[in-house]
Amino acid sequence: MDDKPDGRNDNPASVGRRDLMIGATLATAPFAKAATAQVTATQEGMTGRTEVSLTVNGEAKRLSLDPRASLLDTLREELALTGAKKGCDHGQCGACTVHLDGRRIASCLTLAVQADGCAVTTIEGVSPEDGSLHPMQQAFIDHDALQCGYCTPGQIMAAIACVREGHVGNADEIREYMSGNLCRCGAYAGILAAIQDAASKMRAG
Amino acid sequence: MSDMPYPDALRVDAFDKVRGVQRYAADNARPGLAHAVLATATIARGTVRRIDAAAARAVPGVRLVLTHEELNGLKPPGFLMGGGYGFQSIQPITSPHIAYRGQPIALVVADNLEAAAEGARLIRADYAAEPHQVTLDAPEADIVAQADSPLPKPMFADVKAGEADAAYAAAAIRIEADFRHPPQHQNPIEMLSTVAEWRDGHLTVHEGTQNAEAIRHGLARQLGIEPERITVLSPSAGGGFGQKNSLQAHTVLAAEAARRLERPVKLVVTRAQIFHDSSFRPASRHRIRLGADTAGRMVALIHETDSQTSRHDLFPTQYTELSARLYGIAGFRGRERLVRTDVQTPGYMRAPYEHPAAFAVECCVDELAYRLGRDPVALRLANDTTADPITGQPYSSRYLAECLRRGAARFGWDRRSMEPGSMRAEDGSLMGWGVAIGAYKAATAAAIARLRLSADGAVTFSVGVHEMGQGIRTAIFAVLVRRLGVEPGRITLEIGSTGTTPQHLTAGSWGTATAIPAAEEVCDALLRALETLPSRLSLAERLRAAGRPYLEVEVSRRAPGQPEAVMGRLTSGLPAAMGPAYPGYVSFSHVAHFVEVRVEPSTRRIRVPRVVSVADCGRVISPRTAASQLRGGVIWGIGAALREVSEVDVRYGGFLNADLAEYVLPVHADIGTIDVEFVDAPDPRLNAAGVKGLGEVSMVGVAPAIANAVHHATGRRLRALPIRVEDLL
Amino acid sequence: MRPFTYARAGDEAAAIRAVSSGGRGTRFLAGGTTLYDLMKLGAEAPERLVDISALPGLASFDTAGPRELVFGAGARMSDVAADSRLVAEYPALSESLWKAASQQLRNMASLGGNLLQRTRCAYFRGGEPFACNKRTPGSGCAAREGIDRGHAVLGGSEACIATYPGDWAVALVAFDAVVDVAGPNGARTIPLQALHREPGTTPEVETSLARDEMILRIRVPATPLGRASTYHKIRDRESYAFALASAAVALWMEGDVVREARIALGGLATRPWRAQEAEAGLVGRPLTLEAARAAGEAALRNARPGHHNAFRIELGTRTVAEALLIAQRRA
Repeated sequence: MDDKPDGRNDNPASVGRRDLMIGATLATAPFAKAATAQVTATQEGMTGRTEVSLTVNGEAKRLSLDPRASLLDTLREELALTGAKKGCDHGQCGACTVHLDGRRIASCLTLAVQADGCAVTTIEGVSPEDGSLHPMQQAFIDHDALQCGYCTPGQIMAAIACVREGHVGNADEIREYMSGNLCRCGAYAGILAAIQDAASKMRAG
Repeated sequence: MSDMPYPDALRVDAFDKVRGVQRYAADNARPGLAHAVLATATIARGTVRRIDAAAARAVPGVRLVLTHEELNGLKPPGFLMGGGYGFQSIQPITSPHIAYRGQPIALVVADNLEAAAEGARLIRADYAAEPHQVTLDAPEADIVAQADSPLPKPMFADVKAGEADAAYAAAAIRIEADFRHPPQHQNPIEMLSTVAEWRDGHLTVHEGTQNAEAIRHGLARQLGIEPERITVLSPSAGGGFGQKNSLQAHTVLAAEAARRLERPVKLVVTRAQIFHDSSFRPASRHRIRLGADTAGRMVALIHETDSQTSRHDLFPTQYTELSARLYGIAGFRGRERLVRTDVQTPGYMRAPYEHPAAFAVECCVDELAYRLGRDPVALRLANDTTADPITGQPYSSRYLAECLRRGAARFGWDRRSMEPGSMRAEDGSLMGWGVAIGAYKAATAAAIARLRLSADGAVTFSVGVHEMGQGIRTAIFAVLVRRLGVEPGRITLEIGSTGTTPQHLTAGSWGTATAIPAAEEVCDALLRALETLPSRLSLAERLRAAGRPYLEVEVSRRAPGQPEAVMGRLTSGLPAAMGPAYPGYVSFSHVAHFVEVRVEPSTRRIRVPRVVSVADCGRVISPRTAASQLRGGVIWGIGAALREVSEVDVRYGGFLNADLAEYVLPVHADIGTIDVEFVDAPDPRLNAAGVKGLGEVSMVGVAPAIANAVHHATGRRLRALPIRVEDLL
Repeated sequence: MRPFTYARAGDEAAAIRAVSSGGRGTRFLAGGTTLYDLMKLGAEAPERLVDISALPGLASFDTAGPRELVFGAGARMSDVAADSRLVAEYPALSESLWKAASQQLRNMASLGGNLLQRTRCAYFRGGEPFACNKRTPGSGCAAREGIDRGHAVLGGSEACIATYPGDWAVALVAFDAVVDVAGPNGARTIPLQALHREPGTTPEVETSLARDEMILRIRVPATPLGRASTYHKIRDRESYAFALASAAVALWMEGDVVREARIALGGLATRPWRAQEAEAGLVGRPLTLEAARAAGEAALRNARPGHHNAFRIELGTRTVAEALLIAQRRA
């Protein structure tokens, strides 16, 4: 019982923390912070901005944001990382897919403030530093897994996660787990082939 | 050169696209940029009595609010199909008149996107509503026969050949059926986006488009400035599919806001707004009457259509230009009507006329095959033609029969049993195999191509064409590499942005047949010019030996039979394309689609596990991107046939399911194997490169092939799209 | 979007206090996939958000217990869907999770938040000019005389026919799950069946939770019915879509005879819909095609069609029947 959102003192009548713990702990929260995570100190009034710390593609960033800002708009407008794209702004197309603490998420439906303290990887951060390409990027080229290219960064970020999650057992499983990424040009066949190709290389690598 | 097939080559811009460094318009992000958001009308027709922007202006960070009270001096863009530049003739936010729900009524500009969006939400308007109607079921007064309309003739006259009605009346076998196609939206994943900025009186517009020159000249008209003071940059559009073929309604608003604020403005139209702020595929209905003799010879086809337009524009249709030409039918009569509705003006969406027309005709042809007890492929082959039934002219090339034969072999069509419901898949589902053909006019636009060879070996090439995913950059590279022997890494393409050569509308599948012959000709011109210089091993060495820093050549190219005057249209941003009828011949691309559907026996879900498509688009310049484009067209056909409908609630107008969750696009899990092949036979009569178009024809015929396969699986003839579970329960 | 303040809660009690004391405009924020989405649409306009997504105590789950399965409300849908014991022993629960949304959204969405997912009714989401009693109580219901293809055929009222869109709650209700909730006045346990309310005359009230009550965990009694279960979901496309009709079914077979059956419907009703009459009709009989069909008919017996959704009564009937046969094959 450390910090309170309202800054008031602990109410002894309220439900205690220990009562609320679940007995078994077999999985951990993806975005879990230390139990002592700061509650507040973020508000600056209705029009104020909020301090947010992110590690983006390995670089620490400290930003002053409108609390309403999505992670997608923050990446694009504040950090000029425009690889992640806006295709719907409602989690319905997948073009904004990035990795948050290693997991693929829709950055348009993620409040940037909620990602405070998290590690974000975007398409700009997946290539090795030697200037070569990630095997998934190369496979997208090799299998012509794109046309206009607008959904491509989201497809690639989803595809990398799809392999890491182990959802590449067969073509139907890949199709199912890639269905959150719309491609209006219709490059689905190439994307499937690219993922099958890159999956073996990622495992080998 | 057209006799040599082109080798497989990687997509040239894929390296940038997979790294996320390809820049689209909204990727323009920098300090000082202001963000704009539209507020839109909530009534279907009427007038804004009063608009209250006070709350919006009071939002911290809001810098500017524009309503019709501020913008009434802005001029309309003119309608693309009426000598102008806009997707429709009217310019929202310049008058209190509301023509459709979703019409913009205000623009709010702020320091950040969140404040602009909040400001737009707070715009309040009082309206005087008027009665509206938004479907094809309109009173007779709102139905316009195209032949009697002011639309230019003969382009929009009724198509006729022979005595269709008499032949139909006398035909031994008559098939009559009505088909309905719903409104649909293009929905490229890149949303409509503009970044506008002024510097020293010069306006630069970043916007993904298929028509940079129309934006430039249209904005000049709207803003009352010279086109020379405007640059439009669209190096890469995130899909177009017809939506981005003209000046959008929002573009001038961004430009005007940037002018007033003296800072760059970014305006991204939201997905829900896009359903109302740009064109769409209009609703249409089709009555087909098809007559044949007992031997299976089609003798008469009558195709009558009603197609939705807006109240303020006549968006003309050419459904029958396609249906008249699928087969060698001596008697043809078309009649096309437009139905005025209270919507934004509809427009072009991939295979705009050809896909609905082929759906109607090709379902009837399948029905004829069953009436005759004749194999559907054999029936189609027996009715093929070498001459155009409308003009009597020969086709410049027509490999439709080849498409059908190759496709049938590839698909294993000979294993099909004719009886509906007679084939079962291993999983117990009903299996249906269907076939249909498609065609699309092989149009060509006028073009100016410019080529510069520098003494260091670098090559810069410009022509009027836009890259929107179809792979035109890759195709141009293929030509430059072959013709000039230049390394791909030394080539710079300047396309899609004004200020180079005229950036004519890229649409109607004329991009390749326009840009590639022009590229070949300008390469030849360069090589001829170099012949006068001392002979050396490489082209660049000749330049250096002659002491020339560079050599630049330019060619102007018109489509066969186009008058000289067309170059004036080209340079002023107006459409300057022609086809399919050229002097002495008619040109079309062709395709045959073979589709397997599975209908789940209980819940009746329809799946498409397998498609084989064979296309004749003349010489294939870029085999890899062409194959991708053909597959994409097939997926568009699957979407149009089984998924996509823009829902209309007649009480409210506009479109109800205006997002990507409720407007159902195909996802990965919907798509099985799509096996594609090209005839790859050049059409040297149309142009020396032998190329025709591909992007549109790839979709034509997919929907009827699916509907025919559903009939084969279930015995049900379904004539309204999309076909969904409720149709088979 | 209306401005709001944001705070991240350090623990559950602090979160509840903050929401309780914050007044009407204060809301819990978990994965955000519903709330932030609706805030962008103006359908939600909280003034204060208390972020509970990072509370470590809510994130765990245990599917190995002898008496019950326990799911922390903060566990992510994707993690739970992939749990190998759940996949093997309670396939309906796993399927109800992975057949929902996309993997990106399942990585964000919490189990508790998913239960509270709000309707996809286009009139609700669209806002002006549509009448919506859920959005503006008393304004009317545009859907009743509108495009109701996706609207509820079960549990609707004059005021609202919006479909409950979730999948997980449908599977849970078939398994007699309960939810443990905590509020300023302490903790209580609610049967999942009682968590969601039918719209009646107050469609804006969707659950029996108070605004400042927070779901802590979901508990499912261990049951031999788990293994022969399925969540069968029929959509307008093969993935990434809401259900036209879905059925969570579970069977306990003795030989060919049904000893116990569970049936719940999704996509068809205004809330997760348990079909106990249909279940009872199966017990003590062999599960034939006819019996499965009869169960489907029983499950939809009280369904009321609107203008465009009558087909979903038949579709729902067949979905139940087919689900029963799928589950039978797993017995």
